[in-house]
Amino acid sequence: MSSERRSAMHKMFFREAIARAVREEMRDNPNVLILGQDVGRFGGSYREFDGLFEEFGPERVRDMPVAEPAMVGMGVGAAAAGLRPLVSITYMDFMMLGLDPLINYGAKLRYKTGGQLTAPVVVKTTAGAKGQGVAHSQCIEAWLMSVPGLKVVAPATPADAYGLLKTALRSDGPVVYVDHKRLFPVAGEVPVDEIAIPFGSARLCRSGTDLTITAHSFMVRTALEAAKLLEKAGLSAEVIDLRSLAPLDINTIVASVKRTGRLLTLEEGQITTGVGAEVVTRVMEHLGPIDFTRVGPLPAPVSSNRVLEAACLPDAARVATAARLLQSSGKLVCSN
Amino acid sequence: MPDQNLLTMLRTMKLIRAFEEALAARPDHGFQLISSGEEAVAVGLCASLLPSDQLLTGGRSIGPALARGVDPSRLMAELLGRSSGTNKGKGGRGHLADPARGFFGAHAVVGGNISIAAGVALALQMTGKDAIAAILFGDGAFGAGALHETLNISASMKLPLLFVCNNNQLSVSTPRSQALAPTHLSDIGAAFGIPSQTVDGMDLNAVRKSISKAANHVRAKRGPAFVECISYRFASHSTTARETRTSEELAEIRALCPIVSQSRALKAAGLLNDILAQELDRWVAETVEEALRFADASAMPDAEEALLDVI
Repeated sequence: MSSERRSAMHKMFFREAIARAVREEMRDNPNVLILGQDVGRFGGSYREFDGLFEEFGPERVRDMPVAEPAMVGMGVGAAAAGLRPLVSITYMDFMMLGLDPLINYGAKLRYKTGGQLTAPVVVKTTAGAKGQGVAHSQCIEAWLMSVPGLKVVAPATPADAYGLLKTALRSDGPVVYVDHKRLFPVAGEVPVDEIAIPFGSARLCRSGTDLTITAHSFMVRTALEAAKLLEKAGLSAEVIDLRSLAPLDINTIVASVKRTGRLLTLEEGQITTGVGAEVVTRVMEHLGPIDFTRVGPLPAPVSSNRVLEAACLPDAARVATAARLLQSSGKLVCSN
Repeated sequence: MPDQNLLTMLRTMKLIRAFEEALAARPDHGFQLISSGEEAVAVGLCASLLPSDQLLTGGRSIGPALARGVDPSRLMAELLGRSSGTNKGKGGRGHLADPARGFFGAHAVVGGNISIAAGVALALQMTGKDAIAAILFGDGAFGAGALHETLNISASMKLPLLFVCNNNQLSVSTPRSQALAPTHLSDIGAAFGIPSQTVDGMDLNAVRKSISKAANHVRAKRGPAFVECISYRFASHSTTARETRTSEELAEIRALCPIVSQSRALKAAGLLNDILAQELDRWVAETVEEALRFADASAMPDAEEALLDVI
C-alpha cells in the first residue's frame, strides 16, 4: 500500500485526470506523443485527450488510420528508438489486433536483446460494458497479466488515473493502462500537486473485519456499494482496489485476508483464469487454505441489449449475496 | 563505385556464404536460418545505407547483419548461444540485434518487424535525424496485413522508411506464385504513391543501384520507397527443414550464384585476378575460423541469466 502524502485536492472528472497526466508529461518530455484514432481535434472518444491537440499539435497528437496492429507496432518501435508513445486503443477488444507487436516484440525486447533495447510504450485502452455489445465491452486484462515484461494497471478513481498514468509514461518497459467506459463521467478528488503513483501498490479503500473484497477499475465502485449493503446486514467488508495487476501488490491483500479470514474477488472480466483466480492462488500460497469466492460476469458474451447486459454483469446485490453465502457456508475452513 | 568497394562487397558476399556454411555444420545449438543465394540482396542493401541508418529484418538475418558490419565473432557466439554474443546469447537465430552498429535487429515473427521499423522511422523523423530506417522482409511477409497497414501509414506520414522485399519465392515451402496475387510485389507500392521497383536480386550491381536510388529518395525526406529483389534460396527453409524442390530445380537455381557471377564480372573488368581472389578467400576463411574460435571459447549463459533483463 502506498503512503501518499497529503496535499491540497481539487475535484476532477476521470477523463480530465487522464488529460492532465498526459499534458504534464508531454510538457516535461518532448518525446511523449499520442498515436490513436480520433485523438486529435476530436479529443479522444471519451474526451480524455481534450485540449492536447490544441496545445501540442498534430505531430505529437496523431490521428491514425484504423490499423491497430501497425499502430501498436509503430508505438513499440518508436519507443525502442527513443520516443515515449502513448498508443490509444479505443476499445480493449481491439487490443487483440495489436497483441503481436506488444507481446512478441515489446514485452520481450529488453530480454531478447540482452538489455540493448527497451520499449517504453503505454498502450492505453478502455474496457468494460456500457451498452456497446459483444465486441466493444470486454475486459481482457487477465490475459495480459501473465506476459513476462508487461505491466498492467487499471485505476478506479480520477486520482489513480492521474497518478498511474504519470508512472506509466515514465516507465522503462511497455505498460497497458486500462480505464473503463463507466468511469469517464466520474468525478473525484485529485491532488493539486504533481504526483506519480508507483505500480505494484494496492489501495485500501474501505476497512472491514469480516471479509476482504478485491476489485479493480469500475468494479471497485460495485464492491463499495456491496460493502454498504453488507453493512446493513451486519457484515463488515474490507475493500481493496488492486490498481496494479502486474505487478500485483500481494502483501496488502494477504495482510487484509489475515485480518478478515475471507476473500471475495470481483471482476468484470471472465473469472476462468481471471484476476481473481490469481489473487486467490497467491493469497493461499501465503496463508494456506482460506474461505474464498470469485464473482464475475456470466460465462457469456456481453450483449448491447440492456436486459442481457445487466443479466451478464456482476452488480452490488450479486456481490452481497456471494459474500453472505461465503460467510455462512465457510466451505473451505482455514486449517488453523 | 570505387574498385575497392566492389572487392569489399564481393568479400562480404563470400563471408556470408562461408559463415553460414560453417554455422550449418554446427547443429549443436538447434536449427539455423541461412541465406545462401541471397547474398547480393543483403550486401547491395547495406552498401546503400549510411552508418547512422538503422536496418531491421525478418528472421533470415545473418547475411544482413554481417553486411551491416556486425562483428562476425559476436554474431557466431550469439548463434551458438554464448553469453559473449550480440544479445548475450538470449536472442539467437531470428532475433540478432546490434543497434550501435545500425543493425536495430531481426524479429522472427513473419511481418512482425515491419510496423516496428515504421516506429523507428517515426522516431528518426521526429527527432530531426538525417538517418533513415530500412526494413528487409521476405515474400512470406508480403501476405501479412502489417505490411499493407504500414505502407499506408508510412506513405501518409512521409516516413523515412525504405521497404526492401527479398522475394526468394518461397515461404517455407509455399511458392510465391501460389500465395501472392500481384504480378510484381512492388506493384503494391504504387497504390500508396510509393516509388517502387523490382530488380534482379541475384545481380549485386543491379540491387545496389536500385536500392541506392530508393534510399536517396527516402533520405531526401520525400517519403518511403519500395524495392523488390527477386532472389533464390539455395537451401531449404532452415538447416533442419525438408527440401521440396527437385535436384534438377536446385541445380538450375544454384547456377545463378551471385558470388560466381560477380567474380566473373570483376575479372572481366580487370578488377579481380586469381591471386586477389585467393586473398579474399583466405581473409574469409580466417574470419570464420576466428569467429568459431571466439564462440567456442565463450561460456553459455548462467542459468540465473534467465531472469535478467525481463522487466
